[in-house]
Amino acid sequence: MTRKFITQQELALLVGNLLAAHTRVIAPVRDEEDPRQVDYKPIESFSQAVFGAAIPRRSMKEFFLPITEVLLSYKLTHEGVKITEVPTQAPPQVIFGALPCDAAGLKTVDKVMNWDYRDELWFGRREASTIVTFLCSVMDHTCFCTAVGLGPEDSKGSDAMLIPYEGGYIAQLVTERGEKLFEGVGTAATEIMISASEDTGKAARAKVEPNLPAIPGELSEWLKQNFNHPVWKTIALRCHGCSACAALCPTCHCFDITDEHTSAEAGTRRRNWDSCQTSTFTVHASGHNPRASQSERFRQRIQHKFSVYPSRFGEMLCTGCGRCSRVCPGGMDLPTIVGELVSLAKSESEVSGQ
Amino acid sequence: MKELQEAARKLLSEGTVSVVLGYEMGPRGVRAAFITRPEDVGKLIFNTSCVQNLTTYLNPRRAQITQLGRPAVVVKGCDARSLAGLIREKQIERDKVVVLGVRCGGVLEDPESASELTAETVSVRCTGCKVREPHLADQLFGELPAEPPVNHRREEQIAALEKMTAVERREYWNNQLERCIRCHACREACPMCFCVKCTAEKTQPQWIDAAATLESNRAWQTMRVLHQAGRCVDCLECERACPEHIPLGLLVRYVAGRVEERFHYEAVDDPTVPAPFGMYRPDDEEEFIR
Repeated sequence: MTRKFITQQELALLVGNLLAAHTRVIAPVRDEEDPRQVDYKPIESFSQAVFGAAIPRRSMKEFFLPITEVLLSYKLTHEGVKITEVPTQAPPQVIFGALPCDAAGLKTVDKVMNWDYRDELWFGRREASTIVTFLCSVMDHTCFCTAVGLGPEDSKGSDAMLIPYEGGYIAQLVTERGEKLFEGVGTAATEIMISASEDTGKAARAKVEPNLPAIPGELSEWLKQNFNHPVWKTIALRCHGCSACAALCPTCHCFDITDEHTSAEAGTRRRNWDSCQTSTFTVHASGHNPRASQSERFRQRIQHKFSVYPSRFGEMLCTGCGRCSRVCPGGMDLPTIVGELVSLAKSESEVSGQ
Repeated sequence: MKELQEAARKLLSEGTVSVVLGYEMGPRGVRAAFITRPEDVGKLIFNTSCVQNLTTYLNPRRAQITQLGRPAVVVKGCDARSLAGLIREKQIERDKVVVLGVRCGGVLEDPESASELTAETVSVRCTGCKVREPHLADQLFGELPAEPPVNHRREEQIAALEKMTAVERREYWNNQLERCIRCHACREACPMCFCVKCTAEKTQPQWIDAAATLESNRAWQTMRVLHQAGRCVDCLECERACPEHIPLGLLVRYVAGRVEERFHYEAVDDPTVPAPFGMYRPDDEEEFIR
């Protein structure tokens, strides 16, 4: 992996050049009304971007799976129904200052998007995007990326990762796309710089690690065996089923497809974010709902993230970003809940082992 | 709150109720507690961080809670109004729930903050509170504290909105509502949003598009706020639940103000007083019907 030293000015120039070439650049931007908050947004100048200020409210999945998007439009004509599909190629975009967990989340979701069906719209945007992460410095006590096999210095899903270093950054160029973006920019990093950047990474890890120990592989198996465990009856009592967690989650990727008329003869087929936390997600046309209460719906969330997805794709559907806990109006706290389930799994396997 | 804990212990150990819905300290501040064993009553607290309106959990269609059995619920004066609303609208029966009222001198805006209650940190809904002592309570706890600190931030915002031209006001709300992602968290957290099937989900006909576009977001919030007229108790759970920080409290408060003006009614904690949505009065102002 190539490592370069890049000054702040060089970075500003690089972003300026991208903008001048009309490339869409997305970066964390401060909310005007509430300056404590930042959101990933397209920027018009480098100065708008704020790096390392806070965890952006939403993950960046909306730049790959928009909140709502048109899949096709249809029109009734004398010759029949005329269908126009939307193009799957996307214009180039560069995301600067992404959190490492958000970049990792995209890589995780790639697997389901290319499973039984290849989602061309998702991959159209994925292939047109270059993701530059910044080593995370905004973690709080709700973060648990290190417990799901990631970390504030983990470059999974990053094309390049920038680590602050005296007056600039050490850029780790992870992929060819990353190499290409930084072509001709900066100078080769020295051994001292590389070792300093590794120390920065270790220090960042140490800030997250105490929040939750690494989730053991046994959890997945325990969940599979304990679908009807009594714990599910009471685990989600305070959950309102509001689905704000799924909206902010970097890995929740469910959507619903609806046809919407724009006139009597024409309309569009759209897909919109959806979530297994709502009662309508599984309700049948008959009115029967196999996930009748929030107990079953929350169990689904946990099972999918920590058992179904790992069994099918070999990794958890969670990056430990903690957004679900921060946004929850009911005070549900995922790291605590997962920690409790792990303890339960351990204590029960000890009992059965005796 | 020793008395509250003791009352909860008594109710649970004598079998009067199966669950006490109250407040506890969670990993991220105060949150709802569901106490089912007498030995756990020590978890129950009440302080200025007890922001949540727990009557939301009494929705009869929350099967995971109803399966616990007969509840007792801790209510502040303001929460007692939505409890009255649920009784008035035949969602729950008064004698099926034990009401543990707490006297309250205002709560913070954010249950995760442990700040002192000041004019800056107090919830805007506490200003001018008329129900520091919940009238619906079976048992009352605590001394009556001083009146909450005064914060007119919301009245000022509403006044500023009223001063705007229609075009400016539309612009303001467009800027707010274009952020809506239609997760419907506002609805799920609301104690008075208990419909079996929400208009937002009706497809035959489809009143509101499911897509989060500005037009449908506007239609959704307009519909929701109109259905809340004279029913909303201003607990601001909707605003607190909104992941996009849309000032939904301004909408519901504005509509409540119009109901007060036109129908001389505000959501009260007496379930026997009929609300405008559910009654007809010959002297209702009807000059809009021509």
